[in-house]
Amino acid sequence: MRALNAFAALAFGLAAAPGHMSAQAPQNHGIAGFWSMAPGPTPPRRAATPVETELIAQFRAGAVLLADAGATEFPPGDYGSLGVHASLREAAKTYDPENQTDVSLTCRPPGLIYSMQGPFPIEIFEGRDLVVIKLEYFDLVRIIFMNETQHPDDWPHSQTGHSIGRWEGNTLVVDTAKLLAGTLFNNGVDYTEDVHLSERFRLADENTLIVTQQFEDPGSFEGTAARIMSFRRGDDHVYPYDCDPTYGLAIDSRRGPGQE
Amino acid sequence: MMTRSTLLVALMLAAGAVCAHHSAPVFYKVDERATISGTVTEFRFSNPHAILKFEVVAADGEKQQWTAETTSPSILRRRGWSQASFEPGEKVKLEGMPSLDGSYLMRITRAWREDGTEIGVPPGTNN
Repeated sequence: MRALNAFAALAFGLAAAPGHMSAQAPQNHGIAGFWSMAPGPTPPRRAATPVETELIAQFRAGAVLLADAGATEFPPGDYGSLGVHASLREAAKTYDPENQTDVSLTCRPPGLIYSMQGPFPIEIFEGRDLVVIKLEYFDLVRIIFMNETQHPDDWPHSQTGHSIGRWEGNTLVVDTAKLLAGTLFNNGVDYTEDVHLSERFRLADENTLIVTQQFEDPGSFEGTAARIMSFRRGDDHVYPYDCDPTYGLAIDSRRGPGQE
Repeated sequence: MMTRSTLLVALMLAAGAVCAHHSAPVFYKVDERATISGTVTEFRFSNPHAILKFEVVAADGEKQQWTAETTSPSILRRRGWSQASFEPGEKVKLEGMPSLDGSYLMRITRAWREDGTEIGVPPGTNN
């Protein structure tokens, strides 16, 4: 108990020290914690809830709401009504999905936009100047700068890019640029590093977090793509992913008819 | 060439809900489920997918070396799985998605020990 009290005193003392730890002092908009993807489909594969309807209404005009959020993915040649450039559609015809098990590619993250809508948990930490989102998928860690308003020109492109955020009432609005090229759809079409991502995080209730993403990339498709995801709160933490690149060797060495 | 009908094990195909990682449709019939029994030879519990190697004895005595993968171990931990879930030499029954190409490959959705005890809990129970 003495140790616990000492820890508490230390923690409160640091948090109260002006100009020292106050920038990291916990904030409370209610989104902090562990969130796992809620089971079942999200719009447009089911009717939207009232909160989802409000968020969808904030999409830019003409945004295409994709029906592949969560574990669902489009089959080859299906791009969900998005105006993917003809050259990329043609190139996707030669895409060999078995390359996903190649040792050099197995542990390469598919990109932040795709990772955020995958069926893996996230954990959110909310501070004054930063919001940190840990993705279990490929150990990605997002830093959202709440005290910045522009993306630095010289910021290097990365898997998580550069994110700036602000609160609009009870909604966290995040703008992300400087992403590496990544998976647009898991059927051979990628977005470029010029992609621009806008997200909204909003509680539908204490235990339900709705996240929307809108993104544009003139280099790979026309207009705006959008997704909506639903997460449920859990009493847990994200685990290290620690990807093993040799996984694919076991798949590639499978036996049976046609394999020898 | 062996045909699947000669297998000692019974492959029972039925419609089922999809619970797939992003790469599952590349190798598996994600809308189907099959069950198969065999003897564990190796188990590796690491991301992105755990790998279970097991041996199946066909009707004519041929020993077939099967490979099965799971969803992410970090998700399976929440369903009660661990590196200790399978031991070499142990007989198990597996349910999962059959391979698209007919190879001795499957994607595990549920697993049971020889005495019928389920390993962990089913998908959607605690993940």
